[in-house]
Amino acid sequence: MSNAHQRPLRILLAKLGMDTHTVGITIIAHALREAGMEVIFTGLKQTPEMVAAAAIQEDVDVVGISTLSAGHTRNLPKLARLLREAGAGDKLLLAGGVIPEEDRPLLEEAGVDRTFTMGSDTRDIVAYLNEWWVQQLAADA
Amino acid sequence: MDVAKELLSGTILAGARAIRWLDDGDPRGARTLAEIFPHTGNAHIIGITGPPGAGKSTLVNALISEQRRRGRRVGVIAIDPSSPFTGGAILGDRVRMGKHTLDPDVFIRSIGTRGQAGGLARSTHDACLILDAMGYDLVLVETVGVGQDEIDVVALAHTTVIVGVPGLGDEIQAVKAGLMEAGDLFVINKADRDGYEDTYRQFELMLHLRAESKALSSDDWSPPLLRAVAVKDEGIAEIVDAIDQHKAMLQNTGEFGLRSAQREREQALTLTCTEIMRSIRQSADPAILSAVEKREIDPYSASQLLIKNWQEGRGT
Repeated sequence: MSNAHQRPLRILLAKLGMDTHTVGITIIAHALREAGMEVIFTGLKQTPEMVAAAAIQEDVDVVGISTLSAGHTRNLPKLARLLREAGAGDKLLLAGGVIPEEDRPLLEEAGVDRTFTMGSDTRDIVAYLNEWWVQQLAADA
Repeated sequence: MDVAKELLSGTILAGARAIRWLDDGDPRGARTLAEIFPHTGNAHIIGITGPPGAGKSTLVNALISEQRRRGRRVGVIAIDPSSPFTGGAILGDRVRMGKHTLDPDVFIRSIGTRGQAGGLARSTHDACLILDAMGYDLVLVETVGVGQDEIDVVALAHTTVIVGVPGLGDEIQAVKAGLMEAGDLFVINKADRDGYEDTYRQFELMLHLRAESKALSSDDWSPPLLRAVAVKDEGIAEIVDAIDQHKAMLQNTGEFGLRSAQREREQALTLTCTEIMRSIRQSADPAILSAVEKREIDPYSASQLLIKNWQEGRGT
């Protein structure tokens, strides 16, 4: 058994709160699958507690939250805190969707590693994740 | 974090990490497994299988609720197919099990098949051992949607539940081949749909034929045929009753331990074969393979040569 044998990046994709717009998250999920990643889908109307619990059970490397109906300045910092408290603060936390520029500093301060706004090219997201994953694998080797 | 020690005391973070290592083929996984193996062999492994669209995830969700009502701690391994082209996967079984996410006595793990045929992932057996060592009373293994002969779950599980559904027509014909011979329990889900009566009769006939067969029938157990509407929680308690009866039968006849023992023995052989195959592929003389490509030597003779070279290379 070699370490590099089969080690795809695992990412959990979720939507928090009452936000039911699913087109964006579906497109992202397919793009990541095409890029050879394992995408765990948890469904809609998730609470930060549910996302944190699922991320730990699934031992994902990345948590991606799609947000299109506000609430992100409350939900995302809470999710980041729950992950840290559960000993899973090393997971990369990404947010995408409708995120006003002025909210970014607050989110970054709270532990969101990167935000992608509306109109982001899925290829950029894939490239960003691939680059991050290569670094992780190198650091772990 | 001492992963083995932590998972034995039930820490979810540790159990989740061990399963990841084993799924990835990380050597830390095998080391962890060696430590926890003496603490396994207690959990009741229950396979849930059937064709795509039969409602397996919804049924698993309902079964978790009923098992929790009976006070049991539940592990779930939900398998979805990986793309054979990119290796990627969308693992969506959790969507139907969302209400159990925050229950500390339920652990749900999604696993991609990663190129493995047969309806399971290569690491399914390992993941069952981890959940077993963590103290879950039972592990529900939901296979990918299966066709005629993807019945690897039968060798893994103590109890296999075959899920059918009305209106699949020819699918039933497909089901009968491998699955009808294999199941310990049969459930027709979505039983409130048109075509239920027909499907029930077809299943009944298959089970009758199975009972007539010396090779397939058993004096200790005749597989029950049950109806369910999982989305409405109908018929679920009866299914868990039947699962419990099957487990009691296995324990009374000594079959429970026997099936576990057989499973571990097979796993040891499978791992050995996998490793030897990898070694042979790695050591194969390119000159011999190239001769086959040019039709200078046939595949059978080449394989004898390759095996001989491999054995000599290892000094055997």
